[in-house]
Amino acid sequence: MTAEALSPTPDVQEWRLPRLLGIAARELRSGLSGFRIFIACVALGVTVITGVGAVSDALRAGFERQGEAILGGDATLSRMHVRSKGAERAALSNLGTLSETATMRTMARRTDGSDQALAELKIVDANYPLVGAVELGNAVPLQEALRRGAIVDPILLERLGLNVGDYMKLGAKKVEISGTIKSEPDGIADRLTYGPRVLVSLETLEKTGLVRPGTLIRWRYALKLDPDRSATVEKLLALRERIGSDLPESGFTIRDRRDPSPQVSQVLERLRQFLTLIGLTALLVGGVGVANAVATFIDKRRKVIATMKSIGATSRMVLVVFLAQIALVTVIGIAVGLLLGILLPIVLNALYGDIVPIQAEITVSALSILSAAVYGFAVAMLFTVWPLGSVERVSASVLFRDEVAPERTWPRAWVVGATIALALALVAFALATSDSKRIALYFCGGLVVMFAVFIALGTAVTWVARRVPRPRLPELSLAIGNLGAPGGLTRSVVLSLGAGLSLLVAVALADASLVKELRERLPVRSPDYFVLDIPKAEYPAITALVQGEVPGTVVEDAPMLRGRLVRLNGTPVEQIKAPPEAQWVLNGDRGLSYSDTVPEGSKVKAGEWWEADYAGQPLVSFEVELAQKLGLKLGDTVTVNILGRNVTARIANLREVKWESLAINFVMVFSPNTLKGAPHNLLATISLPPGTPMVTEAQVVRTLGRAYPSVTAIRVRDVLDAFNAVFTKVMTAIRVAGSVTLLAGALVLAGALATAQRRRILEAVILKTLGATRRRILTSHVLEYVLLAAVTALFAVALGSIAAWIAVTEVMKIPFSFSLSAVALALLLSTGLVLLFGGAGTWAVLRAPAVPFLRSE
Amino acid sequence: MSQPIVALDDVSLTLTSRAGPVEILRDVSLHVEGGQSLAIVGPSGSGKTSLLMVVAGLERVSSGGVRVAGHDLTALDEDKLALARGADIGIVFQSFHLVPTMTALENVALPLEFAGTSNAFEIARALLDEVGLAPRVDHFPAQLSGGEQQRVAIARALSRQPKLILADEPTGNLDSQTGKNVVDLLFGLQRRRDATLMLVTHDLRVAAACGRTIHMADGRINNETEARAAS
Repeated sequence: MTAEALSPTPDVQEWRLPRLLGIAARELRSGLSGFRIFIACVALGVTVITGVGAVSDALRAGFERQGEAILGGDATLSRMHVRSKGAERAALSNLGTLSETATMRTMARRTDGSDQALAELKIVDANYPLVGAVELGNAVPLQEALRRGAIVDPILLERLGLNVGDYMKLGAKKVEISGTIKSEPDGIADRLTYGPRVLVSLETLEKTGLVRPGTLIRWRYALKLDPDRSATVEKLLALRERIGSDLPESGFTIRDRRDPSPQVSQVLERLRQFLTLIGLTALLVGGVGVANAVATFIDKRRKVIATMKSIGATSRMVLVVFLAQIALVTVIGIAVGLLLGILLPIVLNALYGDIVPIQAEITVSALSILSAAVYGFAVAMLFTVWPLGSVERVSASVLFRDEVAPERTWPRAWVVGATIALALALVAFALATSDSKRIALYFCGGLVVMFAVFIALGTAVTWVARRVPRPRLPELSLAIGNLGAPGGLTRSVVLSLGAGLSLLVAVALADASLVKELRERLPVRSPDYFVLDIPKAEYPAITALVQGEVPGTVVEDAPMLRGRLVRLNGTPVEQIKAPPEAQWVLNGDRGLSYSDTVPEGSKVKAGEWWEADYAGQPLVSFEVELAQKLGLKLGDTVTVNILGRNVTARIANLREVKWESLAINFVMVFSPNTLKGAPHNLLATISLPPGTPMVTEAQVVRTLGRAYPSVTAIRVRDVLDAFNAVFTKVMTAIRVAGSVTLLAGALVLAGALATAQRRRILEAVILKTLGATRRRILTSHVLEYVLLAAVTALFAVALGSIAAWIAVTEVMKIPFSFSLSAVALALLLSTGLVLLFGGAGTWAVLRAPAVPFLRSE
Repeated sequence: MSQPIVALDDVSLTLTSRAGPVEILRDVSLHVEGGQSLAIVGPSGSGKTSLLMVVAGLERVSSGGVRVAGHDLTALDEDKLALARGADIGIVFQSFHLVPTMTALENVALPLEFAGTSNAFEIARALLDEVGLAPRVDHFPAQLSGGEQQRVAIARALSRQPKLILADEPTGNLDSQTGKNVVDLLFGLQRRRDATLMLVTHDLRVAAACGRTIHMADGRINNETEARAAS
């Protein structure tokens, strides 16, 4: 059969997309070599986002899976101060198997009073633990050890210089140390701990005399609904309902195994969201590499594009063909990134699994994978559309005669439109997946500014380099010429490296400011000790004792109870959707106080403080910022459960509080008539005169402990250290994620250098034929790179500082402090990276033999 | 008299260069009837290729009328020009311009695929058979000789049975024997399909094989000869 017999059907209106995709696949047979940097850039960003998601999923899954063990049952009910008794206790016992525990802070002392240490006391009953087991360091059954005395964290033995079998003092009672704790199943369900754990029985607690009305003790009731298996979700929901209806005023905080610690879950989620934004930055920086790769790809394919156009392909068809190819490459990059990201928790678990208090479950949610893929695809397309738009400008006439480089023209409207739409979609996605819209918005705004600044800077450097009078030094003249050359490195290097460095500088400076705030500023104006559980009657004697030991010591006090917010304006707090930064006020119990004057360090911003002898309906003063976030205003009511009864008070005024002073302060301060009847103790701060030696400080605390065994003194510096330890880990995670951005910048740099390599070799070859020595060429390259790195680093430092300043003063609300070492590091990194990658290229340039290049041209 | 397949009326083409405007074509008028073969000859820079590009709709004229295969090329936008080329004009280049990552078969099928033709590969295979490349259908351009590549290019240009075939120095990159074979093939196919052929050539023997020859100099048609025997 001849071709004439087979007549092509003209204008067949079939759907052509599959056919165009087939053409795209065929056209891509030359391989992906031009796309290595493209794939690496996409993969890197997607790895970070997936990895962050996967690690968070693994921790969360571990948390949920082990929820029962972490809680010590299917569900727990807890409240401050009040032990459950009588009918209420009977009602609890009817719900399932019950275990009663309690936690409080106290001082563990040597029997001779020569040393003491803060301890986290946990009181357990005979049913404890309902789930899991307490592992002891010595081979004694738990209940037997508890019957004999106290089981302690080995750290306490070290601090007090004691051994198992020795005695220590808890409150007024000598207690034998009957064993050491190796692991405690429900350890992390408790709040942030400052001291080592001490386990005792209820009987031992009673003998210590530590618990008096008003003592800060949290009673906890763990429930196991079915003896042999975990309770179903329906049962858990039914349980919550039953407690709500049977014990409406009990003031219990209820947790169940599905989310054993909402605070930990929330922190994990916020950290995941923040690190995802940093991953997005890495992806966007890598986007510059994507754009460069696409531009080079389209440039190399100009003749193929022209051929297609000459045989009847419209611009749209050609666009579809090349877009399909780039989409395929993007998918490969995303797949690589997803794979590496999913592997990340496995690697981290193998390396650092034992330092995390929960066993991570290696699992990754579809949502994490999907969001990483969406980010990866959207960013790749965002940076593809612009260079791909140039397909339209390729004319088929290039097949007939060589064209000089076409003039740069503004792309078509659809290209600009699609770019803006993709950018907006990315911002919308980032906002939609962040709880804190404000931080996400600041972040996106920062990124837009950063890109705008570095694009402008790249253009400015090129512009200046083209116009500045050439210096007489030939090496410098060559370097400046290269900076201004069309198709040179300047724009991509300034943008990619600048963006990566800015983020790193911002993170480093924010970190430096926070560390400075925590380590240096606070101790100057903050007290040295918090003293808990001071009976009102003993306060004057304690003040006298401390001031007698160290004259000039300032002791300040405030009445202190703990209670839980249960309703705002009559609405149960469970039904209130608070912004994440105010959610903590509604979770769990808060310290409550009363005062007839405005507390130290507070300022009334709205409303009036009550009269000294006010006796009307209960009034409360609320912290102004939190009130705004919770939507509370003057005249609104808050209901607080204190000591098992609900108290409703009207907001009489809003107060501004300087929390960072670490002076005694509370979200809610009531009018004295509201709380005076409730049994409570005092909380006091001790501020020793500046320069008090450590020995004297230790002596005061020992004397205080000996005289008042039920009083607990917490060293502020220890609290800050405990916070610092957590904070350092978080900052490390942020730094690692931030460094990935710089790595993305380095990749872009490597890609840009590779693209320019042929031109640079040719230039060097020509220079060599004109008599330039290798040293001269090398010097010109070094000068070019140093100039480029210095200008970029300078702007990155400026921009990073501004970003850090905004984050520190606006979001964290602490003073900004500049760190010269952070800036020096940025400069060093920038120059180092450019010289490293550029140097490798220069090495190849200098080694290239001249003849093949001259012939091939 | 039937409509000419190519009708250029007072066509001028001026391009802007750094040195100022350059007149490439000056008041060129040319009518070519269906089924004719026409050679364009002349020294380098005389405007031969530009004339061909104007007819192919790849270069927009500064003034004058251009009608090709019933289309007013001056009134069409880029995409409509591409569609018109696909439907009615086949182009053969001096440097072949095959897509290097596609086999001979895929290269020939490409215009048919762009047009949405359902039996694209069947037609392409038959065409390659006709140009004597049946055993080479699955070879990539780099695996073919220059003459073979040009035969693939001719098969591709003819795949949609265009009314007009444009060839820009089709033998320019080939040795004389291969060139002769390619020209014979081109003319054979043109005659069998009753298509119109316009080609640019420096080779006077190739020009002599055409029914008409126009001589260009300085952007103008200087004179025209008609070879009675060929037409």
